[in-house]
Amino acid sequence: MIGALVYLQVQSIKNRLRVRLRRLKKPKYLVGAVVGVAYFYFFFFRNLFTGRRGAAAGVIDTTPPEALLMFELLGALALFAMVLSAWIFPHERAALAFTEAEIAFLFPAPVTRRTLIHFKLVRSQIAILFTTLLLTLITRRFGGGGTAWIRAVGWWLILSTLNLHTLAASFARTRLLERGVSNWRRRVVVLSALSVVLAAAVLWVRRTIPAPETSDFASLDTIKYYIRHALESGPAFYVLYPFRLVVRPYLAADAHAFLLTFGPVLALMLLHYWWVVRSDVAFEEASVELSRKLAERIAAIRAGGDWHSTAGKQKKKRPPFALRPAGIPAVAFLWKNLISAGQAFTLRTWLFLALLAICIGVPMGSSQLTPGWLPPTIGIVSAILAGYSLLLGPAILRQDLRQDLVNADVLKMYPLRGWQVVLGELLAPTAILTGAQWCLLLLAVTMFSRIPEGDAVPLANRLSFGAGAAIIAPMLNLVSLVIPNASVLLFPSWVQIGRERAGGIEVIGQRLIFMLGSVLVFAFALLPAAVLFGLVFFLSRLFLGMIAALPLSAAVAAAVLAAEAGLAIWWMGRLFERFDLSAESVS
Amino acid sequence: MIEVESLTKLYDKFPAVSDLSFAVRPCEVMGLVGPNGAGKTTTLRCLSGIIPATRGTVRIAGEDLTTNPVATKRQLAFFSDEPRLFDYLTVQQHLAFTARIYQVSDYQEIGRCLLEELEMADKIELLPGELSRGMKQKLAIACGLLHSPKAIFFDEPLTGLDPLGIRRMKDSILKRAREGAAIIISSHLLHLLEEVCSHVLILKNGRKVVDGTMGEILQKFSEQSGGANLEEVFFRATGEAKEAK
Repeated sequence: MIGALVYLQVQSIKNRLRVRLRRLKKPKYLVGAVVGVAYFYFFFFRNLFTGRRGAAAGVIDTTPPEALLMFELLGALALFAMVLSAWIFPHERAALAFTEAEIAFLFPAPVTRRTLIHFKLVRSQIAILFTTLLLTLITRRFGGGGTAWIRAVGWWLILSTLNLHTLAASFARTRLLERGVSNWRRRVVVLSALSVVLAAAVLWVRRTIPAPETSDFASLDTIKYYIRHALESGPAFYVLYPFRLVVRPYLAADAHAFLLTFGPVLALMLLHYWWVVRSDVAFEEASVELSRKLAERIAAIRAGGDWHSTAGKQKKKRPPFALRPAGIPAVAFLWKNLISAGQAFTLRTWLFLALLAICIGVPMGSSQLTPGWLPPTIGIVSAILAGYSLLLGPAILRQDLRQDLVNADVLKMYPLRGWQVVLGELLAPTAILTGAQWCLLLLAVTMFSRIPEGDAVPLANRLSFGAGAAIIAPMLNLVSLVIPNASVLLFPSWVQIGRERAGGIEVIGQRLIFMLGSVLVFAFALLPAAVLFGLVFFLSRLFLGMIAALPLSAAVAAAVLAAEAGLAIWWMGRLFERFDLSAESVS
Repeated sequence: MIEVESLTKLYDKFPAVSDLSFAVRPCEVMGLVGPNGAGKTTTLRCLSGIIPATRGTVRIAGEDLTTNPVATKRQLAFFSDEPRLFDYLTVQQHLAFTARIYQVSDYQEIGRCLLEELEMADKIELLPGELSRGMKQKLAIACGLLHSPKAIFFDEPLTGLDPLGIRRMKDSILKRAREGAAIIISSHLLHLLEEVCSHVLILKNGRKVVDGTMGEILQKFSEQSGGANLEEVFFRATGEAKEAK
C-alpha cells in the first residue's frame, strides 16, 4: 500500500516539474528562469560550490567554544519555546493536512491509519528537505560558515525532530481531549509546570551567583555570563539538555564532532517516530475539516480574495464615506478599494493620526525637557519613512488593478472608458500612501525643531519643507503606482495578479526583472519633474527667497508629474480597452 | 434589440466563433445551445464587450459595441455561470457600487424591489462569503438588473440553484422579457430552454447550424422524423444522434 502512496508522491513531483519545464518554452518564463538561477547562483550557491565561505567565512569553525556554547544554549531555548507552544496554544484536535483529492481517494480506501501517517510523514519530508536547503543557503550566505553538508544535516535533524514532536503533541492533545481533559486544564497544567521550572531556575541563579548591578549591564560579556550561567546549570540544564542535543550536530565544527553528536539526536528522532506511529488517535474528521478550509482558502485566493479569509470569516468593513449614486464613476473604485484595504482608512482615522502627530510633535519638538537628540531623530526617521513608503508602498498596497484584474470580466462590462477604470483603480493606494506620508511629514516638521546637538531650525523653514513635500507626494505616489499597474496590462502573465503567489525560480527571476525595470522607469519618469524643480527652485530662491521657493518648485514639479500620470492613465485606459482576456493567461 | 452580424472570434488562428449572424428583438428569449466548446460562452462574452470580437458587428438597442462601447454597455447585462463578486463588499455595498458605475440615481428603491423579488431582502448586510452559491448568483443578478438593461445575457443561469430558485429564475427571465428586454440564454438544460425560450440558435464548432423560433424548429425536425423535442433537435442538428443512441 505504501508503494501506491509513494507512487502518488513521486508522480506528483515529476508532473509538477514537467509542467514547470514545459513552460520554459515561453520566453517570459525562460528569461525569468535564467535571471532567477543567476540570482541564486551568485547570491547563495557560488560559495557553496567553490568552497569559499563568504565574508563571514568559518564563523562557527573559528568561533571560540564559549560563543558556540552560547549559540547552543540560545538555540535550545528557542526550540524549547517552540515545543512548549505546541502544548499551550493549539486548541483543535489532531488533523493531518491532506488535499481534498487525497481525502477523496485515500480515506475510503482500504488503508490503515498508520499507513496514512507514514504517507503524511513522507510528504512532510519533502517540505523539510526544501526548507533545509533554503536555511542552509541563507545561514551560510549570512555568516553561518562551516561545512555545507554538516549544516544541511543539522538543519534537517532540527526540523524533522520538531515536525515529529508537533505531530506527536497534536495526537497527545487529542488523546487528552478524548479522556475528558479540556484544553484549559491542559494549559493550566503545562503553565504550572513551566512556572515551577522557571521559579526553580531563578532561585538557583540567585543562590549561586550574586545579583547583577546596573553597571554590569554596560558590558556584553557580563550579560553573556549571566545568561550562560542561568541556562547551563541548575534546573535549566536538565530541562534544556534534550534540546541542546538536537542543536549540537548543526554546530559541529567537523565530521568527527558531528558523528559524536549525531547518535543522540537520531535516538531522539526515532523515539518521536515511535511515539507518532504508535498513537492510535482518530484524526480523520478533523483532517476532512482542515482540508475543506484549505480548499476554501485556495478558492478564495484564486478568486482574488484574502488569503487568510475563509468563507464566513471575512469581517464586514465600514465604508470610508457614503457613496452617492451620481457623480464621477472613478470615485466608486476609490470607495470600493478603500473598503478592501480595511476599515482603518477612513477620513476620521487620518484626521485622528494627523492630530496625534501634532499633539505629540509640537510639545516634544519645542520642549527643553526632552533629550536634545530625540525630537530631531524622530523627525529624521519620519522623513526617511515617508521617503521609503514611496518605494515600498506600491509593493505593499495592491488595492488596484493588480487585485481587481481577476475580476476583469466584470470590469470590462462596465459602461466606462478605460481611463476611468484605470484612474479609479489607482486612487485608493494613492490616497492611502499620501495620507500616511502627510502624517509622517507632520511629525517630521513638528519634531525637527533643531539639528541634533546643534542650532534650532526655524518653523518657517520646516513648514516650507513640509508643504513642498506634501504638495509633491500625491503625484509621486500616483506615478509610482502607474508603473506596476501598467505592467499588469502590458504583461499580465508576468505580474502577480490577485493575491495568489505563484512559485518557481522563473517567477523569482521575473520579479527581479520587474523590480529593476520599475526602478528605472520611475527614475526616468522623475527626470523632467526633477529638472524643472531644480530650475524653478534656483530662480524662485533668487527672487522670492528659500521659504517660498520649496513649495513653489514642488508645485511645478507636481504639475509635471500630474501631466505624466494623466498621459499614462489615458494610455493605460487604451490598453485596458484593448485588453483581450481570451488571449492572456490572467490568473 | 440585439443585432449580430458576421461575428467572428479567433483564438490565434483557431476560430472559436465563425461568421455568426442573428437578431433578438425585445420580448424575445433566445436559447443558445451547442456541445461543449461550440463557442457559446465566447459568443456571449463578445456580445457583452468582455472580449473583443475579431470581426463583425454587435448592436445593442441601436448602439454599436465597437464604435460606442460605453453607451452600448449601459444597455446590457451579462451573468456568467460563476458569479463574480467582490468578497469585501456586502450585498448593500455591491448595489451602491454598481449604482455609481451605472449612475442609477434611484437605486435604493430599485435595489429593494430586486432583493425582495430575489428573496434576499434580509441579507443586505452579508458578505459574499456568508452567502450560499445560489444567493451569490442572485446578488450578481440583482447588480446586473439594477440599471434595467435592454439586453440580457445569461450563461448557465441555473447552476447551483435549488428547485425553487430555478422556478423563480425562470419566472424572473420571463418577467424581464415581458417588460421588453431581449434575452439570450446559454444552457445545456434543454428542457429549461424549451420552457422559457421563444427562439433557439444551435452552434457547433463556432458555426450556426440551426436558427429560428422554437415552434418552427420543432416543427421542421418533426416533419423530418416524427415528433421531436429540443433534445432530439439538438442531437440531430449537431450530428450527435448516433452517439446519443
